[in-house]
Amino acid sequence: MRFGRISKAVGVAAAAALALSACAGNSGGTTPTTAAAAGKTGGSATVVEVNAFNTFNPNTADGNTDINSKISYATHSGFFYIDNKLNVVRNEKFGKMEKSSDDPLTVKYTINDGVKWSDGTPVTTADLLLQWAAFSGYYNDADTEAKTGTSYFSYAGDPTGLALTDFPELSDDGKSMTIKYSKPFADWEIALGGPGIDIPAHVLAKKAGLTDAKAFVDLLKGMPRGDKAAPKPANAQLQAMSELWNTGFDTKTLPADPSLYLSNGPYIVKGVNQDQSLTMVKNKDYAWGPEAKLDEITVRYIGDSAAQVQALKNGEADIIAPQASADTVEQLKTLESQGVTVEVGNQLSYDHIDLNYSGPFAEKNVREAFMKSVPRKDIVDKIVKKLDPKAAPLDSQLFVPDQASYADSVKNNGSSAYQDVDIEGAKKLLNGATPEVRIMYNKDNPNRVDAYSLIRESATKAGFKIVDGGLGKSDWGKALGDGSYDATIFGWINSGVGVSGVPQIFKSGNDSNFNMFSDPDADKLMDELIVTTDKTKQNELITQVDKKIWDSAYGLPLFQAVGVDAYSDRITGVKYMPNQTGVWWNFWEWAQK
Amino acid sequence: MVTYIVRRLITAALILLGASFLVYLLTAASGDPLEEYRASSAPNKQQLIDARTELLQLDTPAPLRYFKWLGGAAQCLIPFANSCDLGKNIAGQPITDALGHALIQTLTLVTGATILAILIGITLGIVTALRQYSTLDYGVTFMAFLFFSLPIFWVAVLLKEFGAIGFNDFLRNPDVPMATALGIGAVAGVITAVAAGGAMKRRLLTGGVAFLFVSAVLIYFSATEWFKNPGLGPVVIAIAGVGIAFAVTLLSAGLKNRKALQSALIAVGVGLVVYFLIQPLLDEATFLMMVLLAVAAVLVGLAIGFLMGGYDRGQSMRAAALTSFLVGFLIMLDRYMQAWPSYFNNSRVRGRPIATIGASTPNIEGDFWILSLDSFTHLILPTLALILISLAGYTRFTRASMLEIMNMDYIRTARAKGLSERTVVMRHAFRNALIPIATIVAFDIGGLIGGAVITESVFSVRGMGFLFLDGIQHIDPNPVMGVFICVAITAMVFNLIADLAYSALDPRVRVKA
Repeated sequence: MRFGRISKAVGVAAAAALALSACAGNSGGTTPTTAAAAGKTGGSATVVEVNAFNTFNPNTADGNTDINSKISYATHSGFFYIDNKLNVVRNEKFGKMEKSSDDPLTVKYTINDGVKWSDGTPVTTADLLLQWAAFSGYYNDADTEAKTGTSYFSYAGDPTGLALTDFPELSDDGKSMTIKYSKPFADWEIALGGPGIDIPAHVLAKKAGLTDAKAFVDLLKGMPRGDKAAPKPANAQLQAMSELWNTGFDTKTLPADPSLYLSNGPYIVKGVNQDQSLTMVKNKDYAWGPEAKLDEITVRYIGDSAAQVQALKNGEADIIAPQASADTVEQLKTLESQGVTVEVGNQLSYDHIDLNYSGPFAEKNVREAFMKSVPRKDIVDKIVKKLDPKAAPLDSQLFVPDQASYADSVKNNGSSAYQDVDIEGAKKLLNGATPEVRIMYNKDNPNRVDAYSLIRESATKAGFKIVDGGLGKSDWGKALGDGSYDATIFGWINSGVGVSGVPQIFKSGNDSNFNMFSDPDADKLMDELIVTTDKTKQNELITQVDKKIWDSAYGLPLFQAVGVDAYSDRITGVKYMPNQTGVWWNFWEWAQK
Repeated sequence: MVTYIVRRLITAALILLGASFLVYLLTAASGDPLEEYRASSAPNKQQLIDARTELLQLDTPAPLRYFKWLGGAAQCLIPFANSCDLGKNIAGQPITDALGHALIQTLTLVTGATILAILIGITLGIVTALRQYSTLDYGVTFMAFLFFSLPIFWVAVLLKEFGAIGFNDFLRNPDVPMATALGIGAVAGVITAVAAGGAMKRRLLTGGVAFLFVSAVLIYFSATEWFKNPGLGPVVIAIAGVGIAFAVTLLSAGLKNRKALQSALIAVGVGLVVYFLIQPLLDEATFLMMVLLAVAAVLVGLAIGFLMGGYDRGQSMRAAALTSFLVGFLIMLDRYMQAWPSYFNNSRVRGRPIATIGASTPNIEGDFWILSLDSFTHLILPTLALILISLAGYTRFTRASMLEIMNMDYIRTARAKGLSERTVVMRHAFRNALIPIATIVAFDIGGLIGGAVITESVFSVRGMGFLFLDGIQHIDPNPVMGVFICVAITAMVFNLIADLAYSALDPRVRVKA
């Protein structure tokens, strides 16, 4: 009896063991295969980003965030890229971009042989044409007021430049494309073809039901320019393609269909772990541009600056670029002893105080007096010196020190008169008057509050009566330009490359000209500027505009925001970059020690 | 009862409606969604503003937008229609997708921490109640309040600094100097002496033994580089197993029940034999297999207890089942330790196993053991942080509830009729003390999902808290509402469950309807 029971138990146990081994994984032994990774010379690096990746098309209004642009930058190539001195650098190995005529401005793009997508399809002018169609808004005939017509590609960038062009001329071999502008466009160099040609036309065409890229080109060729006034029924095929362009590349995971993440650049995306990390490996075909050194780049997302610093310290991250604050910089400096390199530099955004050309500031003397009383050095000392000991007040309204022309412009623009606080000079100009000045700023931003307090203290000494017009985070932006204040402290972002932003702020009557600065000479210079295609000439014009602005006692630029990046001693080749591309600008130079 | 539940559900639905309307309006009014464009000098500023306005439907007043949103959300109630529409976030991702992902992230983070906090907290609460006003009681109370009052972001940063960065540095060259070993031993000795209770002589003795044991173990570990190649081995499993057998029997049946003790010890013996047999099978482990093995361990324990027979089979079965489960756990632990060196030397881990961020090492490859070790090394710090913070509540509640029960008349009666102290505490007091705790636990589970916002952001886990904050930052009500709905529904459901559980557990408050 007993034995019978035990033998039954053994039987059950044996059956259970069998069942268990049946559900066993087939992964084999315990040790993972590390040999494959160790055998290569390239090595790997982990870069930390704040935001999570969410689309392979960084040009759309929804997808236009830093992280998407950076991934696109590393996985695509084009005719140019921008270096950390804010110069446009041509990539002749990819192709040639030449201005063949100044009047009418004509630009010819030629793609080299051998440049191809990672599925083997050559990169052709069809891809460039697709970019042109999306960036120019050529086919859009939507009228938002009347709610008629169609808006095809929802492009986040500025279409005004390419909107001046006609349908491009395409060569038969699909290698060169020529666009002609109806009037000269200053920023033609960065208007098209770079830093990455990121969406493959042949994929889009196929998914929209066209046979190939050629059919796509023919389709576009056959369509006229969109006209708001005379909207046509939407073209189904173009609409299908533009919808795919707008949202088809949005994903938080690696798509099952590899054609949705084709690469034509140094790297190709290998894996996406939703909201955690993204991994890129070398594109083995790539030979048309700067050669990348690392075999693999992993991007991890960490929002919190302190967490970024600790991840670097713990070896989980190799390169970080956290939001700069006094604490973060201090924490990073303590890591220098463990081999971490910290780079502190300027960013393109800068704070400034603008004076309205009305109210108490209608008179130039008063504006000048006020400007003399603004303690720019104290503001820099208090706000940015603790981050960057080399920080100095910004002395140009239009250039940043990273640009070569900054030094020239500063010499002559008249900023030297406002280097130090001159209370006596201000009093003399005021001549006993005590104007009441309301200063508006974002009072939820501690830097702006500090700047305001310092200015108030100093301007009061000169005889101004300062009224605190600070508004909360959600209100100050709406108040800009509404005349409820006399002076305002806020931030602007210098575009770094390209001049289209200049008239936006400084031309009479323009959208962002909040203080109503108006100078006919400056307007004329800016009109000339946006049709000037020569870089040297552009800089000369900007220098002149800069002087005009300073001469009219517009207000004062205060300081540039500080950026910081840091990398561990495993990695070399990281270089600081002031614009939003950040450290990624020269990712191909990154190497593992 | 049914009417009561229905009434509660209807009120819950009304509360949900009202609260969601309020939250929607508050979120929409919390800032200026166009702020980033207001001061922009981009030539296409107006175009960007228009795009954002269209995306967030800013030209519709917020109260109307709420009803639009409600219309989509109401479709979630239609079963199997798959037409649930909670809107999209600013990056164009449907909120339902984002929520699904975030929910998993948050649950992975908080589940283990909550279970452990409840277990440890209740245990500590009972122990301190039984030893009221002892040094141990004061010590635990002090620590509980200390941790309770610490801000979690600070605890988390400290944990990262010492638990991850410091510990990883230590692992690079795991050498415990003699003085440190003795120091740690001394601390362990003092704690044991304090916790032991009883006469001074007994305390000194237990303290001394603990001191010697801990120091010796540390010195041994250091000498054999155990931290680099950890493992338990059959001998340690055998010794620990016997200890477990005694402890489990003591608590579940009492040592006087010889049959139960024998069953538990037999379970340990079986476990040791299985340890050798099962190693090849464990190399092929999967999650499902581990679950099945755990079930098998419990069944084997039950069988042993059953076969031992005796007049109270149930007690033997329980003791043996618990013991064999715990021995099985030891065997699993040993297998994890065997996998440790290959995890440690993995090219992705690079000898720094304890992580400060995220839920896994990107691109790590390996078998079940490597991958779950990777999860553990990522979860250990946030779990610790959450446990430390939430321990105090459970400890104090259990202690208070236990003290109250222990002073009840029926406890005195139980003692008076000659029941053993074990029976009085475990059977008469403990069960009744659990009633109020059950409700607190239910409340806490309801608050779990939305309650780890700070922990999430410090440990860079993109869960519900992140979704919520991100929505607030962009003045985008959709993600905020998604999180709100999830949190509110769980909170309400668990509140209801708490009330029902209370009436089920305590006949005195049962609702007659």
